[in-house]
Amino acid sequence: MRKKQLLDEARLLLVGIPVALWTLIPVYHLVLFAISPRDTATSGRLWPENPTLQNFDTVFNQKHFYLNHFWVQLGNSLAIALAVGAITLFVATCAAFAISRLRVRGGRTVMNLALFTYFIPAAFLAVPMYKTMANYGLLNSRWSLVLAMVTIASPYCIWVLKQASDKLPWELDEAARIDGASPMQLFRLVYLPLMVPSLVAVGTYSLLLAWNEYLYAFLLLSKETDLTLAVALGNFLAADDSPWEVLMATGLVYALPPAAIYYAFKRYMVSGLTAGAVKS
Amino acid sequence: MASVSFRNVKKSFGKVEVLHGVGFDIADGEFVVLVGPSGCGKSTLLRMLAGLEEISAGEIAIDDRVVNDLDAKDRDIAMVFQSYALYPHMTVRENMGFSLRLRKAAQSEIDARVANAARILNLDQLLHRYPRELSGGQRQRVAMGRAIVRDPKVFLFDEPLSNLDAKLRVAMRAEIKALHQRLKTTTVYVTHDQIEAMTMADRIVVMHDGIVEQIGTPLELFDRPGNLFVAQFIGSPAMNVFSGQVRAGAVEALGARWPLPAGLGAEGQTVSYGIRPTDLRLADEGVAATVSIVEPTGAETELLVEVGSQQLTVVMHGRTAVRPGDGVKLALDAAKSHVFDGASGQRIG
Repeated sequence: MRKKQLLDEARLLLVGIPVALWTLIPVYHLVLFAISPRDTATSGRLWPENPTLQNFDTVFNQKHFYLNHFWVQLGNSLAIALAVGAITLFVATCAAFAISRLRVRGGRTVMNLALFTYFIPAAFLAVPMYKTMANYGLLNSRWSLVLAMVTIASPYCIWVLKQASDKLPWELDEAARIDGASPMQLFRLVYLPLMVPSLVAVGTYSLLLAWNEYLYAFLLLSKETDLTLAVALGNFLAADDSPWEVLMATGLVYALPPAAIYYAFKRYMVSGLTAGAVKS
Repeated sequence: MASVSFRNVKKSFGKVEVLHGVGFDIADGEFVVLVGPSGCGKSTLLRMLAGLEEISAGEIAIDDRVVNDLDAKDRDIAMVFQSYALYPHMTVRENMGFSLRLRKAAQSEIDARVANAARILNLDQLLHRYPRELSGGQRQRVAMGRAIVRDPKVFLFDEPLSNLDAKLRVAMRAEIKALHQRLKTTTVYVTHDQIEAMTMADRIVVMHDGIVEQIGTPLELFDRPGNLFVAQFIGSPAMNVFSGQVRAGAVEALGARWPLPAGLGAEGQTVSYGIRPTDLRLADEGVAATVSIVEPTGAETELLVEVGSQQLTVVMHGRTAVRPGDGVKLALDAAKSHVFDGASGQRIG
């Protein structure tokens, strides 16, 4: 018995250690670069001789050519991510409620059509999306990126929320109807409070999706003060001699909010995103 | 309080008709139990009265007002669900006051009515708790409290005791009955448990396959079941039924002659002969039988005996010395027999 346990643990470690290394080595390099002075950044040492926070000073005080709009761009990333999270949440919650609880005719078809869009890679849709945004005169507006990301995030969010909604007992709706609730009251007073864990998960998911987005942000936004930080980071590589240590310091700053959000909501993330994965 | 009328009510799901024209009236203040095996349409009928299912044909009226096109919330009814359907994110107090809150009642009125209902149901100490912190029986009482607070015209109960254990079920049964005697609100109660129906109802509506088989007081149904289905459904243990032919004023079946009330049945007619287990007794003279199982329950003893190829149940008061394998004689009164037409299953006489 004990031998079997040991064997099981050994196997787990055999998988776990490479996965952990695989995940952590890039992070390690990120941190290593971020705290190295410029001249020793690529020296190949495992730990810099003179670790420094100089690079962060450069970033926060916008002391580099590439970082002239750091705070604005960080603000853009934040505003766009929050807007995407909020709008997606609104759209997906209403859709899931209508499909799952009000049983709107054709609701299921609409949801399946929306999910079908995932058969086409987002990159394929980038140019049509660009064209569409141009038609609406939204190019170079941060709204174009918000709307594009809402479009991309919504189908999955609707599906997750619909699965979670389906699990709520139907009798609750009936009891509320008999108690005199209108559909809006049902939505507000019964449905929303019970959906909170899934709503947090879905909101976080879409927020992070928008925060991490590069391609669409790169395509749809061009003015330097409209850019998100993800695109601004990419622009570091435009020169032959990229300031790697500053890039990595900025990257580290950029990576912290998602980590914090994930850590804060991980309880909901795990239960929310797997809700509906299995039929219970 | 209100009367309720069903007039030739039909219900179809797609092409399948599950209720084939149901009609009966419920008087003001009456406690009516709809009983029948699963799939008989009793819950569907209740849900149609509640406004949760559309009425395919016919009319349902509450206090002579046809409610077919009325929304559930405008029918002034309250319903207790099998699964309780308490709002998990609200305390007992909020659950019970929810309908009044939706009606925008004054907070003082909500508090007063919730407190009153809580006192009736002994929930005073639990008002601040959430449903997950309550036992099954307590949840059931909260569900009833939610209904009482409304002071509705009609109470609807949809198998409210099915999720409770046997002991609690008996206790809640008495509580619901006491509640009805106190409030005198018209009540429609659905169950598949005929004992619940017998003990609680003023009148029972026995349903089967989407039709009403018989309507009557519990003892009427027990003493004079109108057809074979009701005869076998009402009463526990179930009535003994076997088929035979009418010959010379008695029924010949299982190799024996069973007494008939005078003048019943035509000579040679095939009939189903029924006798309740409590109406059979062991005697010195009578139909020969062999005991196969003896089940003492203390106050009564249940015997399974074999007559010919048929097993019959006999319930006798007190205890007995008979053992499995013993030969016994069964006696019965002709007046206690129930005779049904062999083809239609309808009661004769």
